[in-house]
Amino acid sequence: MNSLTKKKLQRFRSIKLGYYSFIVLTVAVVLSLFAELFVNNRAVMVHYNGQYYFPTYTAVNSGRAFGLDYDYEVNYRDLKQHFQEENNGNYVIMPVIPWGAYETDSIPGQFPPYPPSQRHLLGTDGTGRDLLARVVYGFRVCILFSLIVMFFNYLLGITVGCMMGYFGGLTDLVGQRVIEILSQVPMLYVIMILSSVLQPSFTLFVFIVVLLGWLSKTWVTRAQTYREMGRDYILASRVLGAGSPRVIFSHVLPNILSTLITMVPFDLIAGISLLTSLDYLGFGLPAPTPSWGALLREGTENLESIWIVSSVTIAMIVVLVMVSFIGEAIREAFDPRKYTYYR
Amino acid sequence: MGAYFFKRFLLIIPTFFGVTLLIFSMTRVLPGGPVETMLMQAQMGGDAGGGFSTQNDSGQVLSPYQIEELKAFYGLDKPIMTAYVEWLNKIVRLDFGESNRYYQPVIDMITERLPISLTFGLVSLVLGYLISIPLGIVKALKHKTTIDFITSLAVYIGYVLPTMVVAIALLTIFAFKLNWFPLGGFYPNNYGELTGTWEQIKGIFPHVVLPLAAYTAGSFAYLTMLMKNNLMDNISADYVRTAVSKGLSFNRAVLRHAVRNSIIPIASQLGGLITVFFAGNFLVELIFNIDGIGLMSYNAIVERDYPVVMGQLAITVFLTLIGNILSDVIVAFVDPRVKFGN
Repeated sequence: MNSLTKKKLQRFRSIKLGYYSFIVLTVAVVLSLFAELFVNNRAVMVHYNGQYYFPTYTAVNSGRAFGLDYDYEVNYRDLKQHFQEENNGNYVIMPVIPWGAYETDSIPGQFPPYPPSQRHLLGTDGTGRDLLARVVYGFRVCILFSLIVMFFNYLLGITVGCMMGYFGGLTDLVGQRVIEILSQVPMLYVIMILSSVLQPSFTLFVFIVVLLGWLSKTWVTRAQTYREMGRDYILASRVLGAGSPRVIFSHVLPNILSTLITMVPFDLIAGISLLTSLDYLGFGLPAPTPSWGALLREGTENLESIWIVSSVTIAMIVVLVMVSFIGEAIREAFDPRKYTYYR
Repeated sequence: MGAYFFKRFLLIIPTFFGVTLLIFSMTRVLPGGPVETMLMQAQMGGDAGGGFSTQNDSGQVLSPYQIEELKAFYGLDKPIMTAYVEWLNKIVRLDFGESNRYYQPVIDMITERLPISLTFGLVSLVLGYLISIPLGIVKALKHKTTIDFITSLAVYIGYVLPTMVVAIALLTIFAFKLNWFPLGGFYPNNYGELTGTWEQIKGIFPHVVLPLAAYTAGSFAYLTMLMKNNLMDNISADYVRTAVSKGLSFNRAVLRHAVRNSIIPIASQLGGLITVFFAGNFLVELIFNIDGIGLMSYNAIVERDYPVVMGQLAITVFLTLIGNILSDVIVAFVDPRVKFGN
């Protein structure tokens, strides 16, 4: 790590709002990867007849395994109560939110969506699934989706953009035309047409979105590469005998990367927005997947159940505003302009 | 520079062909076209009807001959390239064909809805600029003060939230909870009885407020940030210092010199706006149930009404391409430093 990068990092750390947002969001993403331990209908740990069970990631345990009289999967919440009533040393430790994202709850005498209560902190959706669990898992889905899509967009965009800028000439000319045509194609159209035909899985959906998403990154990379190619240090390294790969990977790329990094948070926001919009329209991820867009759709259809719309909207505001704080902080750290004026 | 723009105009042609051909072939190649949709509906209708059966041995409602005839009716019997050339031939004569679903000329469907989208496009455009330019100036001058911080929060939320979510939030709060505005639609129920333009405008007004706010929110946030950042750059530029040291008051230096230069990048956005009049945000129209062009093209995609999809696409692509050039023309016009084509 060179001193310039160190300085940028230091500046980023000194911008408190952005830095803390970064820490909070990173922790949230990492925790969400293990969301099964915090938000789940399976127990974190069961102590039964002297033995310990950790059912979170293991196979399904039937009711009989814990001395109950049914063969289907144990209802750990009931088991916990059962053990407490028996009071002979067995116990169950449930996750903080003891509801799964796919699990439907039915309260006798009431119809879902259930309003927020002790049982469901944020209420439930129209099929009686715990809203908090759906929002948490929805966060994981959309942030992972956005990160994966972004990774491929940058990979493709930087590769092609660098090639166009580096080789120039015919490569550049053909590339420009092709990309100009492709980037005029209305992305939402294509995604909607394709996904209504193909019934996309997560992977296929990522593929469809990347198909047109990488284009915007090529323009930036191309322009930046062109700029760097005109610099003397490139000429110098050429004179010293550096081949194309060396010039690209150890000279051009590190220099244009700093421009690209400032765009990452804003692309993350765009990815989340895209997925939410598509899910809202029903062209996104397949049905039971917890998603913010699908929840918004449900919420607008049952406006009386105001907790659905408000939970999702607040969650989105919090996450997206934090991401944009990070973005602003990175921008400021990489381009510290001192706005001083004379009056 | 004239030669440069002439070249740019010529380049519209291949790009236009490329985009339309791509989507055109996509509508052809992918399953779920009008004939298939019709067959499926006929099949379901046949099952539900029960009493009479038109089904032949293969379980198909229609005979292969009938299917061929249907395909010919929709122009699906020709190879892609032939059909595309035919479509193109009509498009250049502004013949957009007929809707597959409503059997109405596409051009009529569009012109019918144009006033609605135009209203939203124009008003939100004017509103966006009227708010964001002054706000941007104030925020730049009061950088890192309370006013800047408070407005930043609103701007950030408007900037990061998708327009759709803003629309939903507005709908929930102001239409549903507070009941200040109607839940959707563009025309009031008694629109037919209203006489006089003024009465009609008064009737439409409450229906327009929320969608308009949703429309404006996104562009307003973006423009405000752009304006603020540009102005901050310009205020700290040397020429402002020179102006002030020559005896001009700071405020005059900012308003007379810095602001004018900061508007240039914003002016460059103007070209792209000719599409705004036309495209309409279908998500906003969907949420507020406004039958504008956005909603029409969205429904066309859902219902596989390809003549409408293609017609709308052709116009949008054309306008976007023209808009891109227009942006550059505007920039060249307002900023004498910019020279294209050298």
